[in-house]
Amino acid sequence: MPVIKNEYQGRKPDEFRILLGLEGYPDSRNIKTYIEKSNGYKALEKVLKGGMSSEDVINTVKASGLRGRGGAGFPTGLKWSFVPKGPGEKYLITNFDEGEPGTYKDCYISEVTPHSLVEGKIIASYAIGAKKSYIYIRGEFHNEIRWCQEAIKEAYAAGYLGENIMGSGFTHHMDVYSGAGAYICGEETGLISSLEGKKGQPKLKPPFPAIKGYLGKPTVVNNVESLAVVPWIINNGPEAYKKFGTEKSPGTKLFNVSGPIAKPGCYELPLGYPLMRFINEDCGGLIGGKKLKAIIPGGSSAPALTAKECENLTLDYEAIAGAGSMLGSGAIIVIPEDVSMVSVLENLMDFYAHESCGQCTPCREGTGWLYKISKHILKGKGTKTDMDRMYSIANNMRGKTICVLSDAAADPARAIVTKFAHEFEPYLKG
Amino acid sequence: MSETVTLTIDGKEVTVPKGTSIIEATEILGVEIPRFCWHPGLSVAGVCRFCMVKIEGMPKLQIACNTACTEGMKVITVSDEVKDAHKWALEFHLINHPLDCPICDQAGECELQNYYMKVGRYSSQMDEDKVLKPKALDVGDNLVLDTERCILCSRCVRFEDEVTKTSSLGIFNRGDHSVIGTFPNRKVQHNYSYNIVDICPVGAFTAKDFRFKCRVWFLNETKTICPGCSTGCNVTLYEHKNQRQYYRLKPRKNLEVNGHWMCDEGRTMYEHLNATNRLAAPIMQGKHLSWNLLSKELKQKLEKVKGNAAKVALVLTPQYTNEEYENILSSLNSILGGLPNIFVWRDSKEKFDDFDGILMRGDRNANSKGLAQTLEKKSAQAIPLSGDFSPLASANAELVIVFGPEIEKAYSQFATEVSRFAEMTNVVYFGTTLNPIAKKFSLTIPTKVFAEKNGTFVNFKGIPQKLKANPLVFPAMKGIEDIFAEMKA
Repeated sequence: MPVIKNEYQGRKPDEFRILLGLEGYPDSRNIKTYIEKSNGYKALEKVLKGGMSSEDVINTVKASGLRGRGGAGFPTGLKWSFVPKGPGEKYLITNFDEGEPGTYKDCYISEVTPHSLVEGKIIASYAIGAKKSYIYIRGEFHNEIRWCQEAIKEAYAAGYLGENIMGSGFTHHMDVYSGAGAYICGEETGLISSLEGKKGQPKLKPPFPAIKGYLGKPTVVNNVESLAVVPWIINNGPEAYKKFGTEKSPGTKLFNVSGPIAKPGCYELPLGYPLMRFINEDCGGLIGGKKLKAIIPGGSSAPALTAKECENLTLDYEAIAGAGSMLGSGAIIVIPEDVSMVSVLENLMDFYAHESCGQCTPCREGTGWLYKISKHILKGKGTKTDMDRMYSIANNMRGKTICVLSDAAADPARAIVTKFAHEFEPYLKG
Repeated sequence: MSETVTLTIDGKEVTVPKGTSIIEATEILGVEIPRFCWHPGLSVAGVCRFCMVKIEGMPKLQIACNTACTEGMKVITVSDEVKDAHKWALEFHLINHPLDCPICDQAGECELQNYYMKVGRYSSQMDEDKVLKPKALDVGDNLVLDTERCILCSRCVRFEDEVTKTSSLGIFNRGDHSVIGTFPNRKVQHNYSYNIVDICPVGAFTAKDFRFKCRVWFLNETKTICPGCSTGCNVTLYEHKNQRQYYRLKPRKNLEVNGHWMCDEGRTMYEHLNATNRLAAPIMQGKHLSWNLLSKELKQKLEKVKGNAAKVALVLTPQYTNEEYENILSSLNSILGGLPNIFVWRDSKEKFDDFDGILMRGDRNANSKGLAQTLEKKSAQAIPLSGDFSPLASANAELVIVFGPEIEKAYSQFATEVSRFAEMTNVVYFGTTLNPIAKKFSLTIPTKVFAEKNGTFVNFKGIPQKLKANPLVFPAMKGIEDIFAEMKA
């Protein structure tokens, strides 16, 4: 059973806020508010005027234990350190595609505190030696695009972007790139392809983007949340950051809660926070006192957990992986007792079949096949062998493709057909 | 010396240059890993996920096409896990593929069909409706595309992007609705389009030229050299087993000469082999002459100028084999008592140094270099004829022996230029097709076509390459070597 930290007892989520400190301020997106109320651009000053080398910045982020908040949880500082040192073009790209169903935390960051992203990006770019960075953002996020553009404009006007920033000799330019809206463009190499003007399809690895990325140059792709928290880490030091969270999952994380729950929304929590306490107390529990059937803990690609499996579970990378799912983007989807898992499966498979880029055969054909079978089952036209077939198809899609979209479809399918097999029986012909 | 690594594949040790992929290493050993998207002439796509292998120490199976060999690596291609992965990869490829093998033009050459027999042979689990995709799309001057048969290996797209750099093709849509297609207002229109049919592992791209004309199992293959230009692409020539009809040319891999490709113009080189106007028998002053009387007549003509080689003009075109040039020159030398005046007739519009950047050269003759080498060997000086025929006219030859081009269409001014010979007296013309001028020659003698010859072409780089002969279309026909041998006898 995971150990729940005593310090969380009796405290509300907003007491752990690092990233969302400006939440509630009327002009939180304004650079003035950011500077006055949130130590805005102090971290950048500390880096550029305080004599921090790029190595110092990388080491600080490494020491904080910050793990990428896009879903995979790869250590951020380590990722930066893979970029070759020395001269030559390098790029930093922010992954703001945010296409995983249930996930809207990055949108919330741009709504509340876009300057923390801009400042984090400048610092990260300094660390890897990038003179140019992009925010790759999903095209339908009209407001978010505008908010990011405004923040960049303000940062240019204040001298935090452009040539020779604060007289440090460091030059950096930033742009917003609006994507056409494809789930796969949230995969870093698919995103790079899209940014290059090609169809959004993942690229073979190796070579990895840190060596050969955007336009063939070394590139780091970081999630919005990973970058937005960097100024706080620089300002307060890695040890302060590590006071939050668990040993292997330090810091805070944004969690989105969706589904029939009293207080859905975006919350900042320290990692290791008790899941059911969060659902039942902080989020007010399920609407109408309904019983919980299942939770998808990390966006739609995370295998669903039964209500039983959620008991005593904490919100951190290790605990959720230990339960057979993943923390992913931290998008918690709550499924109540009266929702059929057959229809959940059909809905998810519909999504993945639509979003598969079509490049790798097992994913292109497998996602469509899973969707067709789940659709037939939902219509009451399935058979018992369809259940085994779905499991076999999903098994043979896993780990067989360039990116993990195939796994993202296969894992939820496997989890649902095994954990909720009894729910399928009424739908099967015989 | 380049660095090497040594690894084992199914227990067999192999040493390869660093950077070699596993799939390339297996080719060296003769171990076959199934593949669709990998092609040695294109970049690695890694999308068919068919070439899965087990690498000791790695938790997941890996694709052999994008995994580089490392020192001490142990690769397994024959385990149950690997075989199961191949079987499933094939199942995924086939679930939306129409089973129209009986009518598919690729039947007999379909890699999907072949691999099903090699690594598949299972009962499909698919009982859902297949995704239907567009059929018989006109995607260029030479190509038809059936997208329903396509397995999205992307070879065609990479060929367009990387080899011809024309980028007319793309993959559109997503998921199992993905299809290959042309970009708006674009078609596959270049001189290398048929290569797309060759590299398509299934029957998605078919050649308008070959589509529904013949089943491949009725065809014989001969490995020979394309006579279409001085590159000398290595080709396979396909002839019907029973009909004496030629159907197509396809490239053979030769990295030193043509890589994996050949041009569309070269592909059409088979057409003149089937020409209805091919010369079948000798013609003397407009009347057919038997092959038996031919050497007698020719001998008489040469006897008249014996010892007076300077009164004979020999016109050569650079489309014959080294052996034929050798035979012509040495025979005439011995019969006439010396070499005649030699003229080399080339297309007047030819731009010798033109090169399209891929394969095709401005010199459209297959053996320019071979002819030059043979003349040099014989210490013979040749006078060029290219548009201007006055040097030949002023030679006032009593006998003009012309070896006209086999590939007449390589001579843009052929019709005009050949008529100039008709203005001369006593012309002996060797050629392959019956042209209107033939009756004006004192003797017209049919020659074999490249498909019927054994011999050597030397390409523009100086690489000698052997032609291999098919049976003659007209069995009584004699080759140049036979005709001169009879005369000498």
